[in-house]
Amino acid sequence: MLVSIFFSYIATTAFAVLFNAPKRTLIPVGLIGAVGWSVYLLMRDYFSYSSPLSIFCGTVVLSLMSELFARIYKQPVTLFTIPGIVPLVPGLPIYQGMYYMIMSAYSIGIEKLIKASMEAGAISLGILLVSGLFRIFKVRRDRRFVYSRIKEQ
Amino acid sequence: MTTEKIMTMSQEEVLNIALTAGKILLTSGAETYRVEDTIIRLCAWRKMGYVKVFVTPTVIIIGDEKAHGFTCMTRVTSRTTNLSLISAVSEMSYGFGKWSLGYKETKSFLAELRKRPAPSKYVTSVAAGIASACFAVMLGGNFADFGAAFLTGFTAMLAVKQLAVLRITSFWENTLAGMIIAFVALTCCQLNSDCTQEKIIVGGIMPFLPGVSFTNGLRDFMAGDLLSGNSRIAEAFLFAASLAVGIAVVLRIWLA
Repeated sequence: MLVSIFFSYIATTAFAVLFNAPKRTLIPVGLIGAVGWSVYLLMRDYFSYSSPLSIFCGTVVLSLMSELFARIYKQPVTLFTIPGIVPLVPGLPIYQGMYYMIMSAYSIGIEKLIKASMEAGAISLGILLVSGLFRIFKVRRDRRFVYSRIKEQ
Repeated sequence: MTTEKIMTMSQEEVLNIALTAGKILLTSGAETYRVEDTIIRLCAWRKMGYVKVFVTPTVIIIGDEKAHGFTCMTRVTSRTTNLSLISAVSEMSYGFGKWSLGYKETKSFLAELRKRPAPSKYVTSVAAGIASACFAVMLGGNFADFGAAFLTGFTAMLAVKQLAVLRITSFWENTLAGMIIAFVALTCCQLNSDCTQEKIIVGGIMPFLPGVSFTNGLRDFMAGDLLSGNSRIAEAFLFAASLAVGIAVVLRIWLA
């Protein structure tokens, strides 16, 4: 388990390089990816929750951390969430679904693809929940700024 | 407050800067609301509160509500992910009140930003290879899988970057990537019996899965940009399907 957490750190950092992230955000980005992955593993293997629920919890923790780091480093949140969710993306069920479909095992293939869409949906719900919450503050602050500039005229 | 340098720029000049900044953001893979907010913020620094913006993944339109108002528009045809550009432009938009450059200098600053060299294709390919290799291990692969997945991700990304100069459509790019991934993975499995085909292929497709379009699409939905959300998610499904087509063709031929 520790080995896979270590590799999730490196994988997330490699993705950040792939997306040309600023160099000083590489270390926190890796941390975010590793934390999301370890929460997922912990929920799935130790508390034996279902895989979509574990992914949902991992995404919520990871998005909260991204919001925190975005404020510390004064960077847009996207810089942290986009590479951060990468370890949780359901690549395995997507591939398995496609593989069984071309092997004419349609029922297993559809089962895997539904699993993949559940997991992708869990990631999106987690992101929507946190980013929707933090948007409330951001929209209010932005509006106040625009109004304050125009009133001075 | 009256000594602010931006107030010496004319309104047209600020609009021009805002349009260019928006275009940079959209081509580097920012969400729709971030592009809109940045343009409105830049205009607000110049005390232009009446500006209205409409952004979709392919177009930026800036106008106002007056009957004899102005409109300017730009088209965006290709989108990549470049997080440093998003970071640089939003830093500029928040600090525009203390901006020390004039109009010409700002324009050349933005033009330089656009031309700033992306990491070379070898750096990108090695990063893709490392990411693929790590995913193969995270799924429970052994040392042979690590090496094979590195080779798979590296070769596929290098081939796609080499062919980028030909400007083939992204659908074909992804299909080709899928074919190369499947081919290299199957060859590795043939040569070394320790390799697990499934883990290598899953590791290899990870750098090509459209996670960014998907995430941004959802964030657009959350911000109420329904049109952009729909089109980004459609784009994500199209890319995933094209990747699957590439892998399926090779698997079918090889295993038949």
